[in-house]
Amino acid sequence: MAEIEVTFESLTLNDLEAMSDEDRDALPFGVVGFAEDTTVNIYNATEAQMSGLDPATVIGIPFFDAVAQCMNNFMVAQRFEDEPDLDDIVPYVLTLRMRPTKVRLRLLAAAGKSRRYVLIER
Amino acid sequence: MSDRSSEEELLEFLYACPVGLIECDAAGEIGMINPHAMQHLLPLAGASGASNLFSALQQHAPELRSVVSAFTAPIGRICDGHRIFVDLGVGRRTSAPKVLTCTIVKLGPDRLMATLTDVSQQIVQEQRLRQADTWFATLLDGVHDYATLEITPDGKIASANACFTRQTGFNHLEVTGQDLAKVLRTEETGGDLRLEEQFEIAGSDGWHLQEGWQQRAGGEPYWCQRLVVARSTGDGTMPTGFSVVLRDVPRREEAGADLQRLLTRDPLTGSANRRHFSQSMEQEQTRWREFRQSLSLIVLDLDHFKVVNDTHGHPIGDLLLCSVATACAGLLPPRGIFARLGGEEFGVILPRYDREQALDLAEEMRKAIAALVVQSPGGIVKATASFGCATLDEAEGSIDDLLALADTRLYAAKRDGRNRVHQVEGRAA
Repeated sequence: MAEIEVTFESLTLNDLEAMSDEDRDALPFGVVGFAEDTTVNIYNATEAQMSGLDPATVIGIPFFDAVAQCMNNFMVAQRFEDEPDLDDIVPYVLTLRMRPTKVRLRLLAAAGKSRRYVLIER
Repeated sequence: MSDRSSEEELLEFLYACPVGLIECDAAGEIGMINPHAMQHLLPLAGASGASNLFSALQQHAPELRSVVSAFTAPIGRICDGHRIFVDLGVGRRTSAPKVLTCTIVKLGPDRLMATLTDVSQQIVQEQRLRQADTWFATLLDGVHDYATLEITPDGKIASANACFTRQTGFNHLEVTGQDLAKVLRTEETGGDLRLEEQFEIAGSDGWHLQEGWQQRAGGEPYWCQRLVVARSTGDGTMPTGFSVVLRDVPRREEAGADLQRLLTRDPLTGSANRRHFSQSMEQEQTRWREFRQSLSLIVLDLDHFKVVNDTHGHPIGDLLLCSVATACAGLLPPRGIFARLGGEEFGVILPRYDREQALDLAEEMRKAIAALVVQSPGGIVKATASFGCATLDEAEGSIDDLLALADTRLYAAKRDGRNRVHQVEGRAA
């Protein structure tokens, strides 16, 4: 793959789908991919490092109920339900390791794609 | 399982906990918070950010800050299950109104631990139970305490029992043939529905029960449950008469009165709280719908209040809020409700007021606030406020729209230079 600049703003859902686990782990921001039923199937190393959780324990559990309850409201989780095509950046406050942490979230979903993504930039 | 660190397990536990946990200092600055707490706090905090518990809840539970600062013991439980009413309107009837409860424990001079829980579903269930309770209380409590009257379709007393004399002081034989509303002077009482309005509801629903002040013959007020039941022969649509039951409800115990105050009053200013405001709004909306009674709302917001707090400190700010509440409450009509909606924002519910009357009252309140003087160690503190008024007619019966419209006008008043009541262009006749 040719060297293209991958930034928090420019990365597309197709780019993410095409990347290997190693490539996603190398990204400087958190990447969480989850199915329509919100079960997590991608949890990159950056995100694991920020949250303090082992990806092995996060994969397969419902994202908005067990890990990211702080996003389980109309500002994030509801938007994935309401908007089949979604690409938006929102300022947010997460509770990484129980500390209020200001972040930017990028919400990515596309009609016809079963996997959705949340990108997290500290 | 064995190779997971205990720290990681602890984090998993906290991430998944279905109750909000928050640790903060005495000023509310959050040190630790779990995701569930943030789930509720962030949508409330809005642009101001969620780094301070009191600021995040300022709009919906402004009383928390003063409840915490009034707690002087070195450690202990400051509040337990304190209710925070998040939704004021009833526009989204599909889901239950959102209610949170907050418990705060003081662990040291500068350390608080709080929990935040969503109890919306519990509240809905409670309300259903309470309605059933009222019913059973009325049906089962000592039958001898009831004054019962038979009323003709045009509101005249056909007969009354001896208990009516004991309860009200009017001779039950002498009142026969008289207009019940005149005997009871119900149009003068402050609360709730007039008697003829109760008759109207009973005519369509079968019965109506309400509690409110009643007057005895000598003028002494007493708290009374009034049940109106429509009688019909079963074939016609018009009731053939009404039965009215009056019950002298024993004076509430002090604890009960305290609880009532706690549930309906803002502890700092003594104004109605958001919960009471919201409930009254829904009641008045029903009346607007059934009787087409006009209903107006005033919202007001103190101008540059943050400067007062920053310059003179929260205690002086609190004193100013109390003075504003006292001044405005003094101008209220009998059925008006003056409520604290947020930090320095107040709302006034005005049943039977049209727009002109609401605008006039808002102007009186504006003058009263501008005339206030609060003494502070740093000198004299004065205040002004900006006002927006709207009627439920303009909002076509929607409480959400009514609040939004009044808010829009309040902000127009702010933009136009503050210390004013926003005047609506092209007043409707």
